[in-house]
Amino acid sequence: MYLDPDKRVDLATAASHVRDASLVALGGALTSRLPMALVRELIRQGRRDLHVVGSAHGMDVDLLVAAGAVAVCEESYVGFEQDLGLAPAYRRAAEGGTITVKESCCVTILTQLRAAEMGLPFLPVRGIKGTDMRRLHPEYAEITCPFTGELLVAVPPLIPDFALIHAPLGDQFGNLFLEQPYVLDERFAGASRSVIATVDQIVPTDTLAERGVTIPGYFVQAVVEVPFGAHPASSYPNYAYDRQHMSRYVTAASTPDSAEAYLAEWVHLPGGEDDYRAKLGPEPLARLTSWSQSVDQWKGLFV
Amino acid sequence: MSGYTFDEWFVVRLAHTITDREVVFHGFASPCAQVAMHVAKRSHAPDMMLIEGAMYAINPTPAFIPPTSNDNSLKQGAAYSMRFEEFFDAAIRGDVDRMFVSGGQIDVYGNTNVTAVGPLERPKVKLGGGGGGCNISATIRQLTLWTTRHRSGRTVVAECDFITDLGHRTPAGTRAELGYTGGGPQWLVSELGVFDYDADGRMRLRETWPDVSIEQVRAATGFEFAIAGDVHSVAAPTEAEVALVRAIDSLEVRRGEFDSRELEREFEFTTTPAR
Repeated sequence: MYLDPDKRVDLATAASHVRDASLVALGGALTSRLPMALVRELIRQGRRDLHVVGSAHGMDVDLLVAAGAVAVCEESYVGFEQDLGLAPAYRRAAEGGTITVKESCCVTILTQLRAAEMGLPFLPVRGIKGTDMRRLHPEYAEITCPFTGELLVAVPPLIPDFALIHAPLGDQFGNLFLEQPYVLDERFAGASRSVIATVDQIVPTDTLAERGVTIPGYFVQAVVEVPFGAHPASSYPNYAYDRQHMSRYVTAASTPDSAEAYLAEWVHLPGGEDDYRAKLGPEPLARLTSWSQSVDQWKGLFV
Repeated sequence: MSGYTFDEWFVVRLAHTITDREVVFHGFASPCAQVAMHVAKRSHAPDMMLIEGAMYAINPTPAFIPPTSNDNSLKQGAAYSMRFEEFFDAAIRGDVDRMFVSGGQIDVYGNTNVTAVGPLERPKVKLGGGGGGCNISATIRQLTLWTTRHRSGRTVVAECDFITDLGHRTPAGTRAELGYTGGGPQWLVSELGVFDYDADGRMRLRETWPDVSIEQVRAATGFEFAIAGDVHSVAAPTEAEVALVRAIDSLEVRRGEFDSRELEREFEFTTTPAR
């Protein structure tokens, strides 16, 4: 439990808790609430050999892989859905054997996190038998139910060293407000040794409590205010995802050279996230916040 | 309205794999299934429970379908969104009636591969991954499989290089032998035909599209398949159904699943619609 009364730090300090080869859970999913500012900062700090885990993810994992920061990937999906397709850097690294793919299943990860939260040495899942998933996970075992005699697959607890979570709102204690879907963020918070959080805005605790606390601050080691810290993913109710920027990234990531060029242009900036936002420009960022003005405005973001 | 395109018909056919009062789910990266669920909900299955993909929202009425499955626009109109855990718990205890599943490879028993084509250590193509399908394909009551890439010859294959999601039978045994409570694939809707599964769990041609010959289906399929005794043409969509597809998916996100060749397939409404 993290009991400090004020956990506000700068982004570099927050990211520096994560070490080379840490087991890192990534919050959010797909195009929603990805911890992108922390991802960019880990790349700036040259972190290596990370073991990343999560449900269905996209640009967060792909960018870390493009930067050479990942050794093992245990996500249930990495990609850009039907719209922008397969994840270019992840695909290249998996096919080239430069990362170890331990692809998992959302239910298995959820079950393993529950075992960690309950302090149990394993929990069973009904599925997996008959699939090829155990070829990727020799650590799974089998157990016979003592009550029914059913043969089930037993999975060990999953205890990430760090959960990196982005939230639209938080307070100085690290209490976080999220909008649905929370995906695995609550479970990550409970199962991990530490939560490192970025929030678009830090507000007084009273204000946060009125919105509702989704993740209690006692799980959180450090909290950083980073406006647009999930960009180009969404952080509702603040901003929608930036499809144009993700598309630009996917194009860039298609070759190692252009991926390097993207990292140089958008990540390795001397002023960090301040430079990143300045480079994006205030008007394009404001456009992403305009989703609530009308259905046409919202829809127009995705054309 | 003079006619319609293949993507519209395909989505309507997918919608008709849903019956009313089913609890139905689609995964991420599945716009055809997603649009089909909303078409079903607004036409022949008004009392289905529609669980919106990566939002886990119950019966939302989105004004449009965005190009990602976890944008907040997809929970508009939903009084309740399940937690991630609530959905997956419901699926594994058997409270979900139908899920839509696709794959880079689909075999004769309806096993699917969304993990890797080629050797696992050095895959030829690393696919995105299966989300939660590996576990919940074992317990959801029925599965609708679909693919828009049958014609490639690489999709509907004798054996998957990796089994991510379960069909009727794997080398480890049948569903009954594995202790699974879900019924497995009921339909495979492809751009070349509509298939069901026989008593042994093998894929069988059941319905044909009017512009595809059975020879073309055979040429694109990696195994011999049976043809149902009552094989017939896919029922044409009604004008109202096609209008629903267009209204629900005004950004035409569904079309991203098809090769341009399939999008050029056009059809005319007949004077007496089949349905």
